[in-house]
Amino acid sequence: MTSFKEFTEVCKTIESISSSLEMTAVVASFFRRVSESDELVGSATELSIVPRFIMGRIFPEWSALELGVGPALLYESISKASGLSVRHIKQLIRETGDVGEAAKIALERSKRSGAKSRTQTTFLDFSTMDGGTGGAESGEKSEREGVLTISDVFERMTSIANASGKGSQQTKTRHLQFLFNTSSPTESGYLARIVLEELRIGVGEGIVRNAIAEAFAEDVDAVERAYMLINDLGEVAVLASRHDLGGVTIILGRPIKMMLAQIGGFGDLTEAYAVEWKFDGTRVQIHKDGEDVRIFSRRLEDVTSSLPDIVKLVKSQITADRVILDGEVVAVGPEGKPLPFQEIMRRFRRKYDVSAMVEKIPLYLNLFDIMYLDSAPLIDLALHERRRRLDAIVESGERITVAEQVVTDDPMTAQTAYQAALDAGHEGIMLKALDSVYSPGKRGKNWLKIKPIMETLDLVVVGADWGEGRRANLIGSYLLACYDPETSEFLEIGRVGTGITDEQLAELTNLFSQYVISEDGGAIELKPAVVFEIAYEEIQRSTHYASGYALRFPRLVRVRFDKTAEDADSVERVERLAGG
Amino acid sequence: MFKAIINAGTLHDAIKAMSAVVDEARFEIASEGFSARAVDPANAAMVSLDISKDAFVLFEGTDGEIGVDLGRFTEIIGMADKNDEIELALDPDTHKLDISMGGFSYTLSLLDPSTLRNAPMVPALDLPAGITVSGSVFKRMIKAAEMVSDHTSFGVHDGVFFMEATGDSDQVRLDLTSSDLIAITPADVRSLYSLDYLGDISKGVGGAGEIDIHLGRDLPVVIQFELSNGDCKVKYVLAPRIESD
Repeated sequence: MTSFKEFTEVCKTIESISSSLEMTAVVASFFRRVSESDELVGSATELSIVPRFIMGRIFPEWSALELGVGPALLYESISKASGLSVRHIKQLIRETGDVGEAAKIALERSKRSGAKSRTQTTFLDFSTMDGGTGGAESGEKSEREGVLTISDVFERMTSIANASGKGSQQTKTRHLQFLFNTSSPTESGYLARIVLEELRIGVGEGIVRNAIAEAFAEDVDAVERAYMLINDLGEVAVLASRHDLGGVTIILGRPIKMMLAQIGGFGDLTEAYAVEWKFDGTRVQIHKDGEDVRIFSRRLEDVTSSLPDIVKLVKSQITADRVILDGEVVAVGPEGKPLPFQEIMRRFRRKYDVSAMVEKIPLYLNLFDIMYLDSAPLIDLALHERRRRLDAIVESGERITVAEQVVTDDPMTAQTAYQAALDAGHEGIMLKALDSVYSPGKRGKNWLKIKPIMETLDLVVVGADWGEGRRANLIGSYLLACYDPETSEFLEIGRVGTGITDEQLAELTNLFSQYVISEDGGAIELKPAVVFEIAYEEIQRSTHYASGYALRFPRLVRVRFDKTAEDADSVERVERLAGG
Repeated sequence: MFKAIINAGTLHDAIKAMSAVVDEARFEIASEGFSARAVDPANAAMVSLDISKDAFVLFEGTDGEIGVDLGRFTEIIGMADKNDEIELALDPDTHKLDISMGGFSYTLSLLDPSTLRNAPMVPALDLPAGITVSGSVFKRMIKAAEMVSDHTSFGVHDGVFFMEATGDSDQVRLDLTSSDLIAITPADVRSLYSLDYLGDISKGVGGAGEIDIHLGRDLPVVIQFELSNGDCKVKYVLAPRIESD
């Protein structure tokens, strides 16, 4: 067993290193140490946990388990563990800019927190006492250092994820309280960051993959491939430690990473490609094992329960017994055009009254790939071979089809398909290399997407929110508005928080400090002065914002220092771009 | 093997006392009775319950254990009138608990006892001070403290028991002398406790007539009471908060 303290020491070491080769070596040697003293606790070995923890993740990506702890619940737990008020905890986060550092200070039982702390003790504090002399007041918490093992932490996190129903919030809080009251301040700091999945010590999938290879003398490509197939670097590490990567194969029922496309153009048609429509819907991966059908979203979340109609279609119209399919689900409106993305997401996120939504938003399934058939993986077959097998097992009908495909090297034919797709309300086309294998998780030249480039919008910033966790002392997201020249009003249209680097965030926070009108909790009202150029995927109608529109996937392109607030795009232009 | 008949009110009070601190528990069945010991997820509050076979109208049990979701169990037995008799029987084949009362018969799925966290050993505590107070005074005291703060001190000084809670702006103090108490064992002590837990415990106390409280200096408090003329015993242990400034 390895203590959680050892894990935090490795994190600390890594944080002081900038070379990724060096980081990899540290992580690799840690993996080796963990594997040497590993044992099975509950359902997991520590080697299966550590590769995820070190990336700030808790559960395997394919797992439906979610911790379900947001900042509010975390702050409350730290508050209860330390006896400091939630307001005080938030202030510490603001001051330190880091939830981990704030947790560490709060639990230090010292004056550093700036207030009297009243730390909750646990029975562990008393279990070593001799007949009740003393007490726990000696408790500088360093005494507890090393009490928790990595398995303990994971087991508590699993209990938190499994807590449901009445009283589950309290149960979650108390498990966290236990972890905070049983660890040293330094351990608490890292715990808090893991709980928010904000460990951010600079170790990502690449380093973990290379570290697994290095630790157990395995080939990096073999590690990578195993990861794409079983979707959990923890399990991959265990297999690598047993030199068992060769045996890794697709597991029916467990999602594999989806193959991705990169942006292409008609000039790429130097040889024959399979041309398919790029549907305006949402990607699904379907696993059918007899009567058991599981559907996973693009993010590999299990969305089966929201899509009973798709499940039914698959059961009745896929003739193969054991199969994994790739496709796109489209919601079609009364005029035969695809409904906006948000309408489909209403289906995907639905947990209650699913049957009412099935009636209201009917879904259509377009299938375009097959990765597994009758206990045999097909991902190493060429596209045209897979396509032949796909055709053979789908009984196409009104709601389920194999996506139409044209094989051509003629740019004109592709253009025609492109125009037809756009006219039908879809996104564009895909070009797929005929001999290409299915590369899970890869974005490469074998799949190219061609779609129109959206015009950007220049929008004025009218409000903002303080960030959370690591970004607590920075403005984390901005409220955007377009301009109505008739009324001279700024009409809100959405928020942007992506496309902004940490460095930019700091600059922007500084820039906006002069425009703050008022602050209420985390929300800031800003004088309309700064214009952002914003890219987006789509403009949607919305009752949520004053403009009547909202942006899907907005991201900051740049700050238009050359524009004044009144130079921002008008609501009219927004309407025009939205096609309304 | 387990088969028992018990008064609904007694069983309800006993399970409610347990569920004040934990959501699920492992019950030990023995020829002498029915017992459980559980610790809350934060490892700060413990509860133990002992129901002697004498509390039952009928009790047949051989050594074994069952895991129970206390929320579900409380809901079901809450359907009975408090003067009803409840019959409990463990179905050895399905490993479910059959519960019959007032014409209803329920089947309660049980939890795998091995998945339930073990309660830690009760630390051997030397708690020099003790008081016995009526259940109603105990509950009022907790309620008063909850109005001003989320933590409260309990202590004994110069032979007087005190409760003192200080919040951000308000404060409350209650002094109980030996004439206000049913009994007192004096010793100068003081400890601070979370009202989150004490509030739950005060709900678990239900209609108990007398409550024994044992205290030390910065040590866990033991709060215990009896139901059903002493045939059912409930004991809470709550770890203190430790102040530092």
